[in-house]
Amino acid sequence: MNAARLWTIARLELLQRVRTVSWYVLLGVFALLLVGVTALAFLAYGGWGIGGAGVYSVVVYVTLLLILLVSPTLSGNSINGDRDAATLAPVQVTLATTGEILLGKFVAAWITGLAFALVAAPFLIIATLAGDVHPWTVLISLVVLVVETGIIAAIGVALSGILARPLFSVAVTYLVVAALAVGTVIGFGLIGSAVASEGLSKSRYAEYDAMGNIACKDGSSDCYGDADNMICQDWQTSTYRVPRFDYVWWMLSANPFVILADATPTHFDQYGSPDDMFGWLKYSVRSAQLTPELETVWDECDPDNYRYSDLPNPDYRTPEDTIAATVPSWFVGLAVQTALAALLLWWAWARTRTPARTLPPGTRIA
Amino acid sequence: MSSPGIAAAGVRRSFGNVHAVRDVTLDARAGAVTGLVGPNGSGKTTLLLMLASLLAPDAGQLRIGGIDPVADPAAVRAIVGWMPDALGAWPSLTARETLVMTGRLYGLDRDQAGQGAHRLLDEVGLRELADTPARVFSRGQKQRLGLARALVHDPRVLLLDEPASGLDPQARVELRTLLRRLAAEGRTILISSHILSELEEVVDDAVFLVEGATVGADRVAAAATRGRSWRIRLADRDARAAVVPVAQALGLDAALIPIDRRDLLVSFGSDADAATALAALVAAGLPVAEFAAATGILEHTFLDLGGRS
Repeated sequence: MNAARLWTIARLELLQRVRTVSWYVLLGVFALLLVGVTALAFLAYGGWGIGGAGVYSVVVYVTLLLILLVSPTLSGNSINGDRDAATLAPVQVTLATTGEILLGKFVAAWITGLAFALVAAPFLIIATLAGDVHPWTVLISLVVLVVETGIIAAIGVALSGILARPLFSVAVTYLVVAALAVGTVIGFGLIGSAVASEGLSKSRYAEYDAMGNIACKDGSSDCYGDADNMICQDWQTSTYRVPRFDYVWWMLSANPFVILADATPTHFDQYGSPDDMFGWLKYSVRSAQLTPELETVWDECDPDNYRYSDLPNPDYRTPEDTIAATVPSWFVGLAVQTALAALLLWWAWARTRTPARTLPPGTRIA
Repeated sequence: MSSPGIAAAGVRRSFGNVHAVRDVTLDARAGAVTGLVGPNGSGKTTLLLMLASLLAPDAGQLRIGGIDPVADPAAVRAIVGWMPDALGAWPSLTARETLVMTGRLYGLDRDQAGQGAHRLLDEVGLRELADTPARVFSRGQKQRLGLARALVHDPRVLLLDEPASGLDPQARVELRTLLRRLAAEGRTILISSHILSELEEVVDDAVFLVEGATVGADRVAAAATRGRSWRIRLADRDARAAVVPVAQALGLDAALIPIDRRDLLVSFGSDADAATALAALVAAGLPVAEFAAATGILEHTFLDLGGRS
């Protein structure tokens, strides 16, 4: 591995990118999009007084979304596209090794993706200046954004080395990204619902007369809330399906948006609610880890069920409590994604190695 | 296999059911230009890809400058310059950048790569286009850039796949001069081309490739000496009027001598027969303006070996 050659390969890619007009058009469109998103996010969070953190998280999410949408196109044809254009073989005959070519193209694709984050930088700074964005939130969320960009770039470059047709490898890169970003959510929802448990609902109601007044044992009609005097009906039971998301919550851990949310430290307001979108998503995902109640009881003859109480409900949990009581999973998701990208890169290396023994069907080496 | 040039023995390579190279044995001397001649699809490009260390042979031995390209591709790449038949140039890079980048990939430092690019642009006649993006290059200009790219690291062995295609006559003459100079410097040059008359003027040796196999020296020698046509033109009359006197002087049937535009075509079994015939024509007092083999030796051999099929 030679750093000068690796960087030369990356420079070759980047030089060609920065000399195309469409590239600047794309960045310009993205900047315009961010102007709109930032303005709307300020309006949306404006009423809360601590809008900065919310706006910041929205801008980071939109940037991640755009990188996920654009990166496959920018990286998914880097190797087979070069082979089609007959510019791969002239590089392969130089002293640049297959590993250097692959990693050089990966670095270039990564930097290309990060250009979008760079365009988002002014908006992130504006959101930060609006106040109340914690330095750790900024640091960790940006690190995760950079790493995610790299993983998508690596997957795109690798698939372009594995598959022969540029159009096909771009499409497959999109499918992999979609599997991570959307597929995990669909799988989570469908499997969680499919493996539903049977929940038991028990209820008992008090007796009412024809006029709708409470019926009492002593014949009066003002015994509501007096357990000893109310006439109770028989217990009724019914069953219903309870989705078991606590079995499949881990599926979401490979989702880039979830990784970003789960890894970023969350700050809470006085009611224990998160102050940004990262926190809310983290709360939703972490809630899925909790085992659902499989038995619910409603007894009208037990006034404790509905009598107003000054004591806080011992069962109620704030988002802060939920997050504290559940386990983080972002490092697992990140490890899975990194392993996937590394495996694909290795496969691409084996397919692109020269002197070639087998060629992908229907391709020429030059 | 100790030749410092290129040596191949029993090389074979197929792609699925397509046997691109069946049995190639060749020797290309250092300090000489060796032509690789064969019809389309005879395996020339596949052979060059194997020599360039891009493709591994299924069987057989390859040595370039004494090094096995399968066992040590990096060492082979350091001494081999390869010019592909496909014109691949980075479209938005200028000619100079292309050469500097390639030099950097060959491990040259920035200054060496820059100076090398400057010298090569002069050498292949691209100085005026040095800072023009390759996108706008014509076929011939891309071809020159491809040649310059193959020379970036001052290689001892040059593999050129159809280097003359798309070049104008002036550029071909320059290419010829350049190749002769490079060979004189002791480099090994293997060049494939369809333009046999072109090749004829630059190669020292020729290797014939038919259906993926090299043709043995004895078969080549036999084909080369087999009878071929000569072109005869008289100074004072047109071809039609020349048929009868020429036929009389050579003792041939005038009806059997074909006319090709201004010339008569007469077959001779060997060079000696041709020399005798020339003497007879001159002795008969005919003003012989042109007496020359109608086809070059390469073309003749190529056609005789069934290269037309």
